[in-house]
Amino acid sequence: MTALRIAVGFKVTPDYEALRPADWARAATGPSAHGEAVRYVRRVFNVFDEAALELALRLRDARTERGLETSLVAFSVAGREADPFLATLQALGYEGARVEPDADLDFAPATTAALVAAATRHLGGEVLLLGSRCGPGDTGLVPFLAAEALGRPSLPGVTAVEPAADRLRVTFSAGDQPLRATIAPPCVLAVGNALVSLLRVPTLKDRLATRDRVVTTLTPADLGVDVPAALSREPSALVGLETIDRSRAGVVVAGASPAEEARALYEEHLHARLERI
Amino acid sequence: MPLSREAIVEGLRGIVGPDAVVTDEKVLVESSVDNFRKLQNIFDVHTMPVPAAIALPADTAQVARVLTWADDNGVNIIPRTGATATEGGLESVVPDSVILDGSAMNEIVKVDPYNMQATCQCGVPLQALEDRAREHGLTTGHSPQSKPVAHMGGLVATRSIGQFSTLYGGIEDMVVGLEAVFPGGEVCRIKNVPRRAAGPDIRHIVIGNEGALCFITEVTVKLFPYFPENNVFLGWTLKDMGLGFEVLRDVMVNGYKPSVARVYDPGDAGIHFSHFAAPDDCVLLFMAEGAAGIATATADGIQAIVDQHPECTQVPSEYIETWFNDLCWDASKITAEDERIRQTRNVNRTTEISADWSSINEIYQAAKQRIIDEIPDITMMGGHSSHSYINGTNMYFNYFFNVVGVGPEEETEKYYLPIIGIICEETLKRGGSIVHHHGMGKARAPWVKDEYGSSYSMLETLKRSFDPNGVMNKGTIIPL
Repeated sequence: MTALRIAVGFKVTPDYEALRPADWARAATGPSAHGEAVRYVRRVFNVFDEAALELALRLRDARTERGLETSLVAFSVAGREADPFLATLQALGYEGARVEPDADLDFAPATTAALVAAATRHLGGEVLLLGSRCGPGDTGLVPFLAAEALGRPSLPGVTAVEPAADRLRVTFSAGDQPLRATIAPPCVLAVGNALVSLLRVPTLKDRLATRDRVVTTLTPADLGVDVPAALSREPSALVGLETIDRSRAGVVVAGASPAEEARALYEEHLHARLERI
Repeated sequence: MPLSREAIVEGLRGIVGPDAVVTDEKVLVESSVDNFRKLQNIFDVHTMPVPAAIALPADTAQVARVLTWADDNGVNIIPRTGATATEGGLESVVPDSVILDGSAMNEIVKVDPYNMQATCQCGVPLQALEDRAREHGLTTGHSPQSKPVAHMGGLVATRSIGQFSTLYGGIEDMVVGLEAVFPGGEVCRIKNVPRRAAGPDIRHIVIGNEGALCFITEVTVKLFPYFPENNVFLGWTLKDMGLGFEVLRDVMVNGYKPSVARVYDPGDAGIHFSHFAAPDDCVLLFMAEGAAGIATATADGIQAIVDQHPECTQVPSEYIETWFNDLCWDASKITAEDERIRQTRNVNRTTEISADWSSINEIYQAAKQRIIDEIPDITMMGGHSSHSYINGTNMYFNYFFNVVGVGPEEETEKYYLPIIGIICEETLKRGGSIVHHHGMGKARAPWVKDEYGSSYSMLETLKRSFDPNGVMNKGTIIPL
């Protein structure tokens, strides 16, 4: 098998778990409020992208054990907030690159996909791994639009990738069905709920050894993408956000004994639901 | 002759009732360690002697009977409530120990808004007491990261401290009275008074005893007015920890009492503040609270002090407020952290010490450098100062390492204990204390004689007097 280059596109997002309910309510009042509410929250890897980054490292390790040459490049369409994350990835053996957007690309999947595809062509990468989706409001379309732009096959809901001779054995899911496929690169893999979801951590020595490595910085113009024009062609536009009402009602199940309570629970609340299953 | 495990279980059932004695093997195995050897539970690989049983007494009388029975039969008792200990205080280091778990004693006895104090049993979660106090517009002022999961008995037993300590003090400043049971079953109550000069302050025999002298059954703590609407958050970035310590000292020496006063080194700041701090930035932050005039004056005074240091760059207060609102560790965060360790084998540990202003930066620098140089597989070495006093401050070393080449059960010996050793050595060398607020447990007990110096005889005398048969939490504070 020839050398393989794996590209992983990732996004740095606000740590939504650090938001209080009041912050969520503020985020839901409109697009600009969304930005304001999350502005002061620390940043983390988008969870699906983090899984993709670790899957790529494991694929590299598995190939290295077989004596197969593999190189890794990670890139993000982001501002300088991605730099600490790129430093971590460089310490783990990735080359790092950042595409500096000149516009807000939230809720702009076609434009984002155009940049991702162009970055992949520019940086190289027979295999492109991307997280399935990213954050509230994400359409989940970017991996497939990028695959279309690259003219490559894609697989959804990828949970594992292993080397198989000169191909890749991919575990993925379509709908509720777990499936396995052997695929020959080039390809695009959209990583879903992988069991391996967390990125390994580089040592301080790894960090020191790579701290002078330069992150490749690219502009949309470098990649030949006209962002304003692409944005004007987006098929849909965000006009507002609203919270989903997840409030629940509660009832006290009464009975003279635990057995009676259990019977009441079953007959009044469970039986009809079970019948519908 | 020691009792058999079966006899221990029978003895306990006779005192607390059969339903209040836990003998489930899995629960017992998991209870053989606390967070000091947390990887044993995360990876289900256990090496410590398995306790014979867990007894859950319903009241003080049952606690007294258990301790009488244990003393008569030489059974080692490990007192616990919320089971959130981090320093091995809950480890069963001798076979057939009994965990005496006060979590079923969970009644809030009285909230007294007029006298500004609340009484509760040992198993009351701090969060529950805090919620009850808030119903009266009051607060306990105690907010350790473990607030959602820790219980009052354990917090008092380990000399806990909270995130607002610079204003409210540590738990020792909050406890006004308590009830404790000693080996042999003697129940002692220390009454609730504002202050007294009737000899030594005997509260301090109980506060911080870590279950090595007695079992705390009830505590009464102070309450304070709660004014969250007046909170003011302030934050700066700077390049030098030494300057950070100097600013903290200026704030303390000038008499300001912010509830939160912290300086983070670049490594630790990178974990919390990388969205606004550069990789080589320290972060200095404060929270002022209280009645409006006090909060404003405190914030203004701190602002004036930091303004004298142009090396400090102010950041929007929202960064600090947002960070602070997400600081406590609830059960979901603990579960997520366990999963992170399971997947990555990257472990986060902390060790906290204290020292005077002259020594703290030297201790921080020396310990940090030695750990980086001497310990393999370190992925982050940093720390912060989070509890300041007029004469000094603490240093909360925060470090991560990858567990490489050994089983998870060997993590403590290969990495954690050697790091603790370096921190203790560098602290003792400069006259500091090796424990600021986690307790000695069994982890730092090997250094107890160096920590106490010539006053160690007082500690030994306490242990000998109150626990002559040595049945209280063997190996904790005083090593085996």
